[in-house]
Amino acid sequence: MNLTATPLSWNACLSALRLDRWMMGELGAADAETVGTHVSSCAACSAAVAGIRGVREEVRALPLPAALGRPAPRRRIPGAAVAGLGLALAASLVVVLRPPPAGERSKGGGLGLTMFVQHGEEVRRAAPGETVSAGDAVRFAVSTPTPAYVAVLSLDPTGKASVYFPQAPRAAQVPAGTEVPLPLGTRLDTTTGEERLLGIFCASPVELEPIRLGLEQGQDGIPLPADCQGLRWSFVKR
Amino acid sequence: MILDGAAIASLYRSHGHVVLRRARTLLGSEPDAREVLQEIFTALVRNPDAVRSAGSIVGWLYQATTHHCLNLLRKARTGARVLELHVRPGLSESGGPRGEAAAEVRRLLALLPEDVAAAVVYHHLDGMTHAEVAELLGCSRRQVGYLLERAQGLWDRAEQTA
Repeated sequence: MNLTATPLSWNACLSALRLDRWMMGELGAADAETVGTHVSSCAACSAAVAGIRGVREEVRALPLPAALGRPAPRRRIPGAAVAGLGLALAASLVVVLRPPPAGERSKGGGLGLTMFVQHGEEVRRAAPGETVSAGDAVRFAVSTPTPAYVAVLSLDPTGKASVYFPQAPRAAQVPAGTEVPLPLGTRLDTTTGEERLLGIFCASPVELEPIRLGLEQGQDGIPLPADCQGLRWSFVKR
Repeated sequence: MILDGAAIASLYRSHGHVVLRRARTLLGSEPDAREVLQEIFTALVRNPDAVRSAGSIVGWLYQATTHHCLNLLRKARTGARVLELHVRPGLSESGGPRGEAAAEVRRLLALLPEDVAAAVVYHHLDGMTHAEVAELLGCSRRQVGYLLERAQGLWDRAEQTA
Protein backbone atom coordinates (compact mmCIF):
# COMPACT_ATOMS: atom_id res chain seq x y z
CA MET A 1 0.00 0.00 0.00
CA ASN A 2 1.23 3.49 -0.82
CA LEU A 3 1.23 5.68 2.23
CA THR A 4 -0.13 8.60 0.24
CA ALA A 5 -3.49 6.84 -0.19
CA THR A 6 -4.77 5.07 2.90
CA PRO A 7 -8.28 4.95 4.37
CA LEU A 8 -7.05 7.21 7.17
CA SER A 9 -5.46 9.83 4.91
CA TRP A 10 -6.57 13.45 5.21
CA ASN A 11 -8.77 14.56 2.31
CA ALA A 12 -8.85 18.35 2.48
CA CYS A 13 -6.47 20.82 0.78
CA LEU A 14 -5.44 22.54 3.99
CA SER A 15 -3.97 20.46 6.78
CA ALA A 16 -5.95 19.54 9.85
CA LEU A 17 -3.43 21.52 11.91
CA ARG A 18 -3.95 24.71 9.91
CA LEU A 19 -7.73 24.39 10.05
CA ASP A 20 -7.68 23.70 13.80
CA ARG A 21 -5.43 26.70 14.40
CA TRP A 22 -7.66 28.90 12.24
CA MET A 23 -10.75 27.85 14.15
CA MET A 24 -9.04 28.47 17.51
CA GLY A 25 -7.78 31.92 16.53
CA GLU A 26 -4.08 31.03 16.49
CA LEU A 27 -3.30 32.23 12.96
CA GLY A 28 -2.06 35.68 12.07
CA ALA A 29 -4.52 38.09 10.46
CA ALA A 30 -3.32 37.62 6.90
CA ASP A 31 -3.12 33.84 7.19
CA ALA A 32 -6.55 33.66 8.86
CA GLU A 33 -8.08 35.66 6.05
CA THR A 34 -6.44 33.41 3.45
CA VAL A 35 -7.76 30.29 5.16
CA GLY A 36 -11.24 31.74 5.61
CA THR A 37 -11.46 32.73 1.96
CA HIS A 38 -10.30 29.31 0.85
CA VAL A 39 -12.65 27.37 3.15
CA SER A 40 -15.65 29.33 1.92
CA SER A 41 -14.96 28.20 -1.65
CA CYS A 42 -13.64 24.67 -1.14
CA ALA A 43 -16.03 21.79 -0.60
CA ALA A 44 -13.40 19.44 0.84
CA CYS A 45 -12.09 21.97 3.36
CA SER A 46 -15.62 23.10 4.26
CA ALA A 47 -16.53 19.51 4.96
CA ALA A 48 -13.41 19.11 7.09
CA VAL A 49 -14.32 22.23 9.10
CA ALA A 50 -17.87 20.95 9.56
CA GLY A 51 -16.45 17.67 10.84
CA ILE A 52 -14.20 19.50 13.30
CA ARG A 53 -17.14 21.59 14.53
CA GLY A 54 -19.19 18.44 15.02
CA VAL A 55 -16.58 16.89 17.31
CA ARG A 56 -16.22 20.20 19.16
CA GLU A 57 -19.93 20.12 19.99
CA GLU A 58 -19.62 16.50 21.10
CA VAL A 59 -16.83 17.33 23.56
CA ARG A 60 -18.77 20.30 24.95
CA ALA A 61 -21.58 17.90 25.84
CA LEU A 62 -19.30 15.36 27.52
CA PRO A 63 -18.96 15.27 31.32
CA LEU A 64 -15.70 16.68 32.62
CA PRO A 65 -13.03 14.15 33.63
CA ALA A 66 -13.08 13.48 37.35
CA ALA A 67 -9.72 15.17 37.87
CA LEU A 68 -11.09 18.45 36.54
CA GLY A 69 -13.80 18.59 39.20
CA ARG A 70 -17.51 19.25 39.05
CA PRO A 71 -18.87 22.19 37.11
CA ALA A 72 -20.12 25.08 39.22
CA PRO A 73 -23.75 24.89 40.39
CA ARG A 74 -26.17 26.78 38.15
CA ARG A 75 -27.55 29.31 40.57
CA ARG A 76 -28.63 32.80 39.58
CA ILE A 77 -26.87 32.50 36.24
CA PRO A 78 -28.39 32.03 32.77
CA GLY A 79 -27.93 28.38 31.79
CA ALA A 80 -26.02 29.11 28.59
CA ALA A 81 -23.52 31.33 30.39
CA VAL A 82 -22.63 28.86 33.11
CA ALA A 83 -22.28 25.72 31.01
CA GLY A 84 -18.81 24.35 31.71
CA LEU A 85 -17.96 27.17 34.13
CA GLY A 86 -16.20 24.76 36.51
CA LEU A 87 -14.80 27.35 38.93
CA ALA A 88 -12.80 26.38 41.97
CA LEU A 89 -13.49 27.34 45.57
CA ALA A 90 -12.48 30.84 46.69
CA ALA A 91 -10.44 32.61 49.38
CA SER A 92 -10.72 35.73 51.54
CA LEU A 93 -9.91 39.39 50.66
CA VAL A 94 -12.61 41.87 49.71
CA VAL A 95 -12.87 43.39 46.25
CA VAL A 96 -15.38 46.05 45.41
CA LEU A 97 -16.39 46.53 41.83
CA ARG A 98 -16.88 50.12 40.72
CA PRO A 99 -18.32 51.31 37.44
CA PRO A 100 -15.88 52.95 35.02
CA PRO A 101 -15.01 56.57 35.80
CA ALA A 102 -17.05 59.35 34.18
CA GLY A 103 -15.98 60.06 30.64
CA GLU A 104 -14.84 56.52 30.00
CA ARG A 105 -16.81 54.61 27.48
CA SER A 106 -18.53 51.71 29.20
CA LYS A 107 -20.59 50.14 26.48
CA GLY A 108 -21.27 50.76 22.84
CA GLY A 109 -22.49 49.08 19.70
CA GLY A 110 -24.13 46.20 21.57
CA LEU A 111 -20.83 45.12 23.10
CA GLY A 112 -20.61 43.91 26.66
CA LEU A 113 -18.10 42.49 29.13
CA THR A 114 -19.44 40.54 32.11
CA MET A 115 -17.61 38.90 34.96
CA PHE A 116 -18.98 35.80 36.71
CA VAL A 117 -17.62 35.06 40.14
CA GLN A 118 -17.63 32.00 42.32
CA HIS A 119 -17.40 32.52 46.05
CA GLY A 120 -17.78 29.37 48.07
CA GLU A 121 -20.58 27.35 46.58
CA GLU A 122 -22.27 30.33 45.00
CA VAL A 123 -21.81 31.53 41.42
CA ARG A 124 -23.17 34.93 40.41
CA ARG A 125 -22.80 37.71 37.90
CA ALA A 126 -20.66 40.55 39.30
CA ALA A 127 -22.15 44.01 38.97
CA PRO A 128 -20.63 47.48 39.52
CA GLY A 129 -20.67 48.26 43.19
CA GLU A 130 -21.12 44.64 44.21
CA THR A 131 -18.70 43.18 46.73
CA VAL A 132 -16.64 40.24 45.54
CA SER A 133 -13.69 38.54 47.22
CA ALA A 134 -10.15 38.54 45.81
CA GLY A 135 -9.01 34.98 45.51
CA ASP A 136 -12.43 34.18 44.14
CA ALA A 137 -12.47 32.34 40.83
CA VAL A 138 -13.74 34.46 37.96
CA ARG A 139 -14.66 33.93 34.36
CA PHE A 140 -15.56 36.46 31.74
CA ALA A 141 -18.36 36.51 29.20
CA VAL A 142 -18.79 38.85 26.29
CA SER A 143 -21.69 40.16 24.31
CA THR A 144 -21.24 41.08 20.67
CA PRO A 145 -23.78 41.46 17.87
CA THR A 146 -21.36 40.03 15.30
CA PRO A 147 -18.44 37.56 15.55
CA ALA A 148 -15.40 39.38 16.88
CA TYR A 149 -11.82 38.83 17.95
CA VAL A 150 -11.76 39.40 21.70
CA ALA A 151 -9.23 39.74 24.50
CA VAL A 152 -9.45 40.69 28.17
CA LEU A 153 -6.45 42.43 29.74
CA SER A 154 -5.87 43.81 33.20
CA LEU A 155 -3.60 46.30 34.92
CA ASP A 156 -3.11 45.33 38.54
CA PRO A 157 -2.46 47.76 41.40
CA THR A 158 1.31 47.26 41.10
CA GLY A 159 1.23 48.42 37.50
CA LYS A 160 1.70 44.97 36.01
CA ALA A 161 -0.44 44.25 32.97
CA SER A 162 -1.47 40.78 31.94
CA VAL A 163 -3.78 39.04 29.49
CA TYR A 164 -6.64 37.15 31.10
CA PHE A 165 -7.92 35.83 27.79
CA PRO A 166 -6.88 34.27 25.46
CA GLN A 167 -3.85 32.10 26.19
CA ALA A 168 -2.41 33.10 22.83
CA PRO A 169 -0.52 36.05 21.37
CA ARG A 170 -3.52 37.37 19.43
CA ALA A 171 -7.14 38.16 20.15
CA ALA A 172 -9.33 35.07 19.73
CA GLN A 173 -12.53 34.79 17.77
CA VAL A 174 -15.81 34.46 19.60
CA PRO A 175 -19.23 34.00 18.03
CA ALA A 176 -21.97 36.61 18.12
CA GLY A 177 -24.22 36.34 21.13
CA THR A 178 -25.14 37.61 24.54
CA GLU A 179 -22.88 36.73 27.45
CA VAL A 180 -20.86 34.17 25.53
CA PRO A 181 -18.53 32.62 28.15
CA LEU A 182 -14.84 32.86 27.37
CA PRO A 183 -12.64 29.80 27.89
CA LEU A 184 -10.07 29.83 30.69
CA GLY A 185 -11.22 31.04 34.07
CA THR A 186 -8.84 32.74 36.48
CA ARG A 187 -8.51 33.64 40.15
CA LEU A 188 -8.12 37.15 41.53
CA ASP A 189 -4.86 37.56 43.41
CA THR A 190 -4.37 39.26 46.77
CA THR A 191 -2.72 42.50 45.61
CA THR A 192 -4.61 45.41 47.16
CA GLY A 193 -5.63 48.56 45.30
CA GLU A 194 -7.41 49.35 42.09
CA GLU A 195 -7.34 46.86 39.19
CA ARG A 196 -8.46 47.85 35.74
CA LEU A 197 -9.88 45.54 33.12
CA LEU A 198 -9.83 46.22 29.42
CA GLY A 199 -11.96 44.15 27.08
CA ILE A 200 -11.21 44.64 23.39
CA PHE A 201 -13.43 43.67 20.47
CA CYS A 202 -11.75 43.67 17.08
CA ALA A 203 -12.45 42.78 13.47
CA SER A 204 -9.15 40.89 13.17
CA PRO A 205 -6.88 38.83 15.49
CA VAL A 206 -4.73 41.73 16.68
CA GLU A 207 -1.43 41.27 18.49
CA LEU A 208 -1.92 41.67 22.24
CA GLU A 209 1.62 42.35 23.47
CA PRO A 210 1.71 45.98 22.23
CA ILE A 211 -1.58 46.64 24.03
CA ARG A 212 -0.36 44.94 27.20
CA LEU A 213 2.89 46.95 27.12
CA GLY A 214 0.93 50.14 26.55
CA LEU A 215 -1.12 49.46 29.66
CA GLU A 216 2.05 48.91 31.72
CA GLN A 217 3.63 52.08 30.39
CA GLY A 218 0.75 54.08 31.76
CA GLN A 219 -1.08 54.70 28.51
CA ASP A 220 -4.48 54.73 30.16
CA GLY A 221 -6.16 56.15 27.13
CA ILE A 222 -4.15 53.68 25.10
CA PRO A 223 -4.96 53.93 21.41
CA LEU A 224 -6.34 50.62 20.23
CA PRO A 225 -5.88 49.22 16.72
CA ALA A 226 -8.18 50.88 14.21
CA ASP A 227 -10.64 48.00 13.99
CA CYS A 228 -11.02 47.55 17.76
CA GLN A 229 -13.37 48.88 20.41
CA GLY A 230 -12.59 48.79 24.10
CA LEU A 231 -14.65 48.29 27.24
CA ARG A 232 -13.24 49.17 30.65
CA TRP A 233 -14.00 48.14 34.22
CA SER A 234 -12.30 49.12 37.43
CA PHE A 235 -12.45 47.53 40.85
CA VAL A 236 -10.69 48.14 44.12
CA LYS A 237 -9.34 45.61 46.59
CA ARG A 238 -9.38 46.67 50.19
CA MET B 1 -3.33 34.32 35.57
CA ILE B 2 -3.40 30.95 37.33
CA LEU B 3 -3.83 27.94 35.02
CA ASP B 4 -5.73 26.03 37.66
CA GLY B 5 -8.24 23.20 37.41
CA ALA B 6 -10.99 25.58 36.37
CA ALA B 7 -8.89 26.97 33.54
CA ILE B 8 -7.93 23.49 32.37
CA ALA B 9 -11.59 22.48 32.46
CA SER B 10 -12.32 25.41 30.18
CA LEU B 11 -9.47 24.35 27.92
CA TYR B 12 -11.01 20.88 27.78
CA ARG B 13 -14.27 22.36 26.53
CA SER B 14 -12.68 24.66 23.98
CA HIS B 15 -9.85 22.45 22.69
CA GLY B 16 -10.77 18.88 23.64
CA HIS B 17 -12.06 18.15 20.15
CA VAL B 18 -8.50 18.57 18.83
CA VAL B 19 -7.58 15.48 20.87
CA LEU B 20 -10.72 13.38 20.43
CA ARG B 21 -10.97 13.67 16.66
CA ARG B 22 -7.37 12.63 16.03
CA ALA B 23 -7.38 9.91 18.68
CA ARG B 24 -10.37 8.36 16.94
CA THR B 25 -8.51 8.30 13.64
CA LEU B 26 -5.28 6.96 15.14
CA LEU B 27 -6.81 4.30 17.38
CA GLY B 28 -10.04 3.37 15.58
CA SER B 29 -11.66 2.81 18.96
CA GLU B 30 -14.13 5.19 20.59
CA PRO B 31 -13.46 4.01 24.18
CA ASP B 32 -9.69 4.27 23.64
CA ALA B 33 -10.03 7.72 22.05
CA ARG B 34 -12.09 9.03 24.98
CA GLU B 35 -9.55 7.60 27.38
CA VAL B 36 -6.77 9.51 25.61
CA LEU B 37 -8.85 12.68 25.83
CA GLN B 38 -9.26 12.24 29.59
CA GLU B 39 -5.63 11.28 30.19
CA ILE B 40 -4.15 14.24 28.33
CA PHE B 41 -6.19 16.79 30.26
CA THR B 42 -5.78 14.96 33.55
CA ALA B 43 -2.02 15.09 32.98
CA LEU B 44 -2.33 18.84 32.47
CA VAL B 45 -3.80 19.19 35.94
CA ARG B 46 -0.61 17.60 37.30
CA ASN B 47 1.66 19.69 35.09
CA PRO B 48 -0.05 22.88 33.84
CA ASP B 49 3.30 24.42 32.91
CA ALA B 50 3.56 21.98 30.02
CA VAL B 51 1.11 23.95 27.92
CA ARG B 52 1.86 27.41 29.29
CA SER B 53 5.31 27.34 27.69
CA ALA B 54 4.00 26.09 24.34
CA GLY B 55 3.90 28.52 21.44
CA SER B 56 0.64 27.01 20.21
CA ILE B 57 -1.90 25.18 22.34
CA VAL B 58 -3.23 23.40 19.28
CA GLY B 59 0.29 22.33 18.30
CA TRP B 60 1.00 21.07 21.80
CA LEU B 61 -2.23 19.03 21.77
CA TYR B 62 -1.30 17.54 18.40
CA GLN B 63 2.06 16.43 19.79
CA ALA B 64 0.61 15.06 23.03
CA THR B 65 -2.18 13.16 21.25
CA THR B 66 0.16 11.66 18.66
CA HIS B 67 2.67 10.56 21.29
CA HIS B 68 -0.05 9.05 23.48
CA CYS B 69 -1.79 7.20 20.65
CA LEU B 70 1.41 5.81 19.14
CA ASN B 71 2.34 4.45 22.57
CA LEU B 72 -1.05 2.75 22.81
CA LEU B 73 -0.66 1.24 19.35
CA ARG B 74 2.76 -0.12 20.27
CA LYS B 75 1.46 -1.58 23.54
CA ALA B 76 -1.44 -3.24 21.72
CA ARG B 77 0.96 -4.77 19.24
CA THR B 78 3.26 -6.00 22.01
CA GLY B 79 0.34 -7.50 23.95
CA ALA B 80 -0.99 -9.26 20.89
CA ARG B 81 2.43 -10.69 20.06
CA VAL B 82 2.87 -12.00 23.61
CA LEU B 83 -0.53 -13.66 23.43
CA GLU B 84 0.13 -14.86 19.88
CA LEU B 85 -3.06 -13.17 18.74
CA HIS B 86 -3.74 -10.85 15.83
CA VAL B 87 -4.41 -7.22 16.75
CA ARG B 88 -8.14 -6.73 16.50
CA PRO B 89 -9.56 -3.86 14.49
CA GLY B 90 -10.90 -0.93 16.55
CA LEU B 91 -14.43 -1.19 17.88
CA SER B 92 -15.69 1.57 15.62
CA GLU B 93 -14.21 0.14 12.46
CA SER B 94 -16.50 -1.51 10.00
CA GLY B 95 -15.47 -4.72 8.41
CA GLY B 96 -14.51 -5.14 4.81
CA PRO B 97 -11.48 -3.98 2.83
CA ARG B 98 -11.50 -0.41 4.13
CA GLY B 99 -11.57 -1.53 7.75
CA GLU B 100 -8.77 -3.99 7.15
CA ALA B 101 -6.70 -1.37 5.35
CA ALA B 102 -7.16 1.04 8.25
CA ALA B 103 -6.05 -1.67 10.67
CA GLU B 104 -2.98 -2.26 8.50
CA VAL B 105 -2.03 1.41 8.77
CA ARG B 106 -2.29 1.23 12.56
CA ARG B 107 -0.20 -1.94 12.64
CA LEU B 108 2.43 -0.15 10.55
CA LEU B 109 2.45 2.83 12.89
CA ALA B 110 3.09 0.48 15.80
CA LEU B 111 6.12 -0.95 13.98
CA LEU B 112 7.80 2.32 13.10
CA PRO B 113 10.26 4.24 15.28
CA GLU B 114 8.61 7.14 17.14
CA ASP B 115 9.87 9.96 14.92
CA VAL B 116 9.10 8.09 11.69
CA ALA B 117 5.59 7.19 12.89
CA ALA B 118 4.92 10.76 13.96
CA ALA B 119 6.01 12.05 10.55
CA VAL B 120 3.61 9.60 8.86
CA VAL B 121 0.77 10.68 11.13
CA TYR B 122 1.33 14.39 10.58
CA HIS B 123 1.91 14.21 6.83
CA HIS B 124 -0.49 11.50 5.68
CA LEU B 125 -3.21 11.44 8.35
CA ASP B 126 -3.26 15.18 9.14
CA GLY B 127 -2.39 16.39 5.65
CA MET B 128 0.46 18.61 6.83
CA THR B 129 3.12 20.06 4.58
CA HIS B 130 6.74 19.15 5.25
CA ALA B 131 7.18 22.60 6.82
CA GLU B 132 4.29 22.02 9.23
CA VAL B 133 5.60 18.56 10.13
CA ALA B 134 9.07 20.01 10.68
CA GLU B 135 7.61 22.60 13.07
CA LEU B 136 5.95 19.94 15.22
CA LEU B 137 8.89 17.55 15.14
CA GLY B 138 11.47 20.27 15.72
CA CYS B 139 13.56 19.24 12.73
CA SER B 140 14.34 20.39 9.19
CA ARG B 141 12.11 19.86 6.18
CA ARG B 142 14.88 17.76 4.67
CA GLN B 143 14.74 15.49 7.71
CA VAL B 144 10.96 15.17 7.31
CA GLY B 145 11.46 14.00 3.73
CA TYR B 146 13.98 11.44 4.93
CA LEU B 147 11.62 10.17 7.65
CA LEU B 148 8.77 9.74 5.16
CA GLU B 149 10.98 7.88 2.70
CA ARG B 150 12.13 5.64 5.49
CA ALA B 151 8.52 4.99 6.48
CA GLN B 152 7.55 3.91 2.96
CA GLY B 153 10.61 1.64 2.80
CA LEU B 154 9.80 0.02 6.13
CA TRP B 155 6.19 -0.39 5.07
CA ASP B 156 7.19 -2.06 1.79
CA ARG B 157 9.48 -4.49 3.66
CA ALA B 158 6.76 -5.27 6.21
CA GLU B 159 4.33 -6.08 3.41
CA GLN B 160 6.83 -8.33 1.70
CA THR B 161 7.49 -10.34 4.85
CA ALA B 162 3.78 -10.60 5.81
